[in-house]
Amino acid sequence: MPKITIDKQMIECRAGVPVLQAALEAGWDVPHYCYHPGLSIVASCRLCLMEMQMPDPKTREMVWSPKLMPSCQTPVKDGMVVRFDSPAVRKNQQSCMEFFLLNHPLDCPVCDQAGECYLQDYSYKFGQPNSRMVDPKLKNPKKDIGPKTLLYQDRCVMCSRCVRFTQEVSGTAELCIVNRGTRAEIDVFPGKPLDNLLQGNVVDICPVGSLLDKDFLFKRRVWELRGTDSICPGCATGCSIRIDHADGVVYRLKPRYNPKVNAWWMCDEGRYGWKYVHDRKRITAPLVRRGFEETTPAWEELPNILRFRFEEHVREAGSGKVVAVFSPFMACEEAWLLAKFIREVAPQAALAMGPVPLAGEDQHFPVGASGHAVKFTILKEKCPNRRGVEMVLAAAGGTVLAYDEFIEQTLAGAFSAAWIVGGYPAPWVDKNAAKVAEKFSLLVVQDLFPSDLLAGAAIVLPACSWAEREGSFVNAAGLVQPFDRAIDPPDGVKRDGQFLYEIAGFSGIFRAERVRELMAETMSAFGEVSVPPAVAEFAH
Amino acid sequence: MSFESVLLRNRGVTGSTTLKVYESRGGYQAVRKALKMAPDEVVEEVKKANLRGRGGAGFPAGVKWTFLPKDRTRTLLCVNADESEPPTFNNRVLMENDPHQLLEGTMIAGYATRAQIAYIYMRGEFHEPFHIVQKAIDEAYAAGYLGKNIFGSDYALDVYVHRGAGAYVCGEETGLIESLEGKRGWPRIKPPFPAVEGLFHRPTVVNNVETLSCLPHIIERGADWFTAIGPPHSTGPKLFCVSGPVKRPGCYEAPMTITVRELIEREDMGGGMLPGKKVKGVLPGGVSMGILTADELDMKMDFEDPRKYGLLGLGTAAAVVIDEGTDIRIVLRNMARFYGTESCGQCTQCREGTAWMHKIATRIAAGAGRIEDLDILLETARNMGMMPGLSICGLPDGATYPIEAIVKKFRGELEERIRAQPRGRVEELLKVLN
Ligand SMILES: Cc1cc2nc3c(=O)[nH]c(=O)nc-3n(C[C@H](O)[C@H](O)[C@H](O)COP(=O)(O)O)c2cc1C
Ligand code: SF4
Ligand code: SF4
Ligand code: SF4
Ligand code: FES
Repeated sequence: MPKITIDKQMIECRAGVPVLQAALEAGWDVPHYCYHPGLSIVASCRLCLMEMQMPDPKTREMVWSPKLMPSCQTPVKDGMVVRFDSPAVRKNQQSCMEFFLLNHPLDCPVCDQAGECYLQDYSYKFGQPNSRMVDPKLKNPKKDIGPKTLLYQDRCVMCSRCVRFTQEVSGTAELCIVNRGTRAEIDVFPGKPLDNLLQGNVVDICPVGSLLDKDFLFKRRVWELRGTDSICPGCATGCSIRIDHADGVVYRLKPRYNPKVNAWWMCDEGRYGWKYVHDRKRITAPLVRRGFEETTPAWEELPNILRFRFEEHVREAGSGKVVAVFSPFMACEEAWLLAKFIREVAPQAALAMGPVPLAGEDQHFPVGASGHAVKFTILKEKCPNRRGVEMVLAAAGGTVLAYDEFIEQTLAGAFSAAWIVGGYPAPWVDKNAAKVAEKFSLLVVQDLFPSDLLAGAAIVLPACSWAEREGSFVNAAGLVQPFDRAIDPPDGVKRDGQFLYEIAGFSGIFRAERVRELMAETMSAFGEVSVPPAVAEFAH
Repeated sequence: MSFESVLLRNRGVTGSTTLKVYESRGGYQAVRKALKMAPDEVVEEVKKANLRGRGGAGFPAGVKWTFLPKDRTRTLLCVNADESEPPTFNNRVLMENDPHQLLEGTMIAGYATRAQIAYIYMRGEFHEPFHIVQKAIDEAYAAGYLGKNIFGSDYALDVYVHRGAGAYVCGEETGLIESLEGKRGWPRIKPPFPAVEGLFHRPTVVNNVETLSCLPHIIERGADWFTAIGPPHSTGPKLFCVSGPVKRPGCYEAPMTITVRELIEREDMGGGMLPGKKVKGVLPGGVSMGILTADELDMKMDFEDPRKYGLLGLGTAAAVVIDEGTDIRIVLRNMARFYGTESCGQCTQCREGTAWMHKIATRIAAGAGRIEDLDILLETARNMGMMPGLSICGLPDGATYPIEAIVKKFRGELEERIRAQPRGRVEELLKVLN
């Protein structure tokens, strides 16, 4: 690993990275706009300039270059010496910040980006307090550039990140720059709005409040949001994300850097796919039926009721008549706890995999890319944890059925008691599934939304969305990725994990990590989870 | 003493743009000679001649060619005919009067650099030069002078003209390359330098029209003949433009021993000032190099002397004479406006700095200046990174040198005019504008 010296401090860095990247990773807050590690280097904002030692063309001796050099464009070389803490460097940062603000409307009070804006942060840290321009500001327009995104050109710092993103990552190239000099504007081509499945990322990488997400527009000040690390449940890619929420309400999802999965990006399906969390149609109370009698028991009574009903059924029909259907939206831990309970009350029970939602084909980006050129993939498997649930079922042993087999055998009369877990964000119960309900004399349905299944259910358990749960998903690449709970479930709903923990015979607070330790005793894959490296906030 | 016409020797000759007349006056002999030499011998001869680039930077052409990788293939040659520097028209004169001289120079440079394709990147507004050059190319093809097996050698060269779309910055060599590739004319970050990776990722040489027009003469008459003209650091014949209130504005040829005063005064050049006009100042190198006062007219128009006068360099060697009656505020504003609208806009300092200077200079010219504006102009010029530069290309150097020079050398007049403004004028104007 090459060693370079920044401000007299020697640091080790990854080979081949720009000096800027090395400095950011080593903890230097170097101001930068145009540089983004996931995009090509243009070195145009000129904010990251540093003093560097260069070999003298004649003597080959290392001397300070008379010119400030762009640290984003200069790769590290062993033995390199650079200066960030210097009057010339500071002077450049200061004058750049003055330049950036010349025509800026200073409308932070009504700007969504305020609080997470690198124009604010850098002005505060590297800029100067007052503007010397008395002349009228150039007023650039606000534009509606696509179904999901607005462009406030007057706040733009012309870093061209957004344009390069659509050229290099989404491959859709909707964005361009029109006009010249200070009148240059980001724009779309006539009749071709910014509309692709990765477009939301341009809002994330815009360092200022120029590109805005219509979905989040004016919804909440960002400093009131709390971020919780999570994994997107939208597809089997399993992007690392952050759930931004306040007062128990989710406001937006943001991608988290994960070099093994999603790099810096996420897709719009995932980004806007969380709305069902706050859907008013959700099931919010448990229900128990006996004959024509319907009751809503307290959660504390439910473990006993469930245990009693299953034991009763096993006594009458035999434990081979019991089946449990697992959802690919369950966390591995939840699946393990449920399997443990089912096998306890019905050792011969069959375990089945629920339907795996598929839609279209896998989509690779940049559009049309293949092989190593692929930078992002949205998978057609629209659930987060088929693999994880399958691993748990396989380890549980005994009969394991695919969903089709479950339907077929049930219709043939193989089972008379079932615990079916849903948890799908969209309606999932088709005619087939509704038909099997009639075959069960004991049916437990644990789900988010009412469906035809409920009519025949002896016990209905409200389920939680992933934002309310904790656990781990195993993505398409086989990575076990933990996610944390962001918000509380709706009133009257108990966290699936906690409930299953209790029903499986444990007491106390459910922590996914603790359950994973137990799982790891028989499934080594759960001994370690995959967590992406932390990135400092200033390395945006 | 009058000077020998070399580059302009065919100007004024009837039919000078035709292949027939060009050849009848000795044209296309040099390229025949060059094709009998080895390419590297041609490079050596040009190096020996110390032919410095006429496009503005003055970099020795032969040396530039040696930056091409030794093991290169598919080299490309770009002829910079973008000529967008305000008072400059020497490339235009060359192309309008002697297009075959340029083609012959292009062939020699192409052969020396082993390029088989040359693109002439021509300023969009050059309608007539375009038609003349294109016609000359057609003629050359028809005569078998372009294409394969030029003059019986196994050297092949194709020449294309590409017309610009009206951006000054596309004259900057990497802006030119981007534009040729069909992109926005945004100058590139270096490295890689064009010689290593330029147009379409290939080794590329960019040379100015006048630079290339010198080549046939160097090959024909030898490097020693060339270096005998002018001082050792500024060899060979050179074209100079003079405009403004002089009797004979135009493009003239002389060795680089000539002074600004001679350019204005000589009977065979500017012919002196128009009656009643007096020199207040001269922008001697296009507008980007800075300004001279009336006391500084003995500056030599060579590659070195301008530095002694606080100028950036020789530039395009096109002098605009400013008359005593001209308000210096208008000159200041004109300079600032040009760069304010020509910065390509990718680098912060240049994009915002040029626009800000434009605003300030416009307000000063509108009679609402403040003394502190002059200091802000000077500081902004510094913050924009005058030599050695803070941004991607050399445009901000050109933008700041004239502004700084005008403010420094004409500060007396500027302050006097600002002080003579009616009281409250600044506030009044800003109230209307803001
Ligand atoms: C802003 C800017 C504009 C330029 N415009 C021109 C131009 O119009 N014509 C030209 O020959 N060189 C121009 N140049 C210089 C070129 O970058 C380059 O140095 C030149 O074409 C090299 O040719 P030469 O070595 O033969 O002079 C410009 C440079 C800058 C920075
Ligand atoms: S809109 Fe944002 S990302 Fe795009 S160029 Fe402007 S500041 Fe950069
Ligand atoms: S690719 Fe899949 S996991 Fe990633 S954000 Fe989109 S839906 Fe979510
Ligand atoms: S210095 Fe100015 S003209 Fe040159 S690339 Fe940067 S913004 Fe464009
Ligand atoms: S120039 Fe280095 S980050 Fe923009």
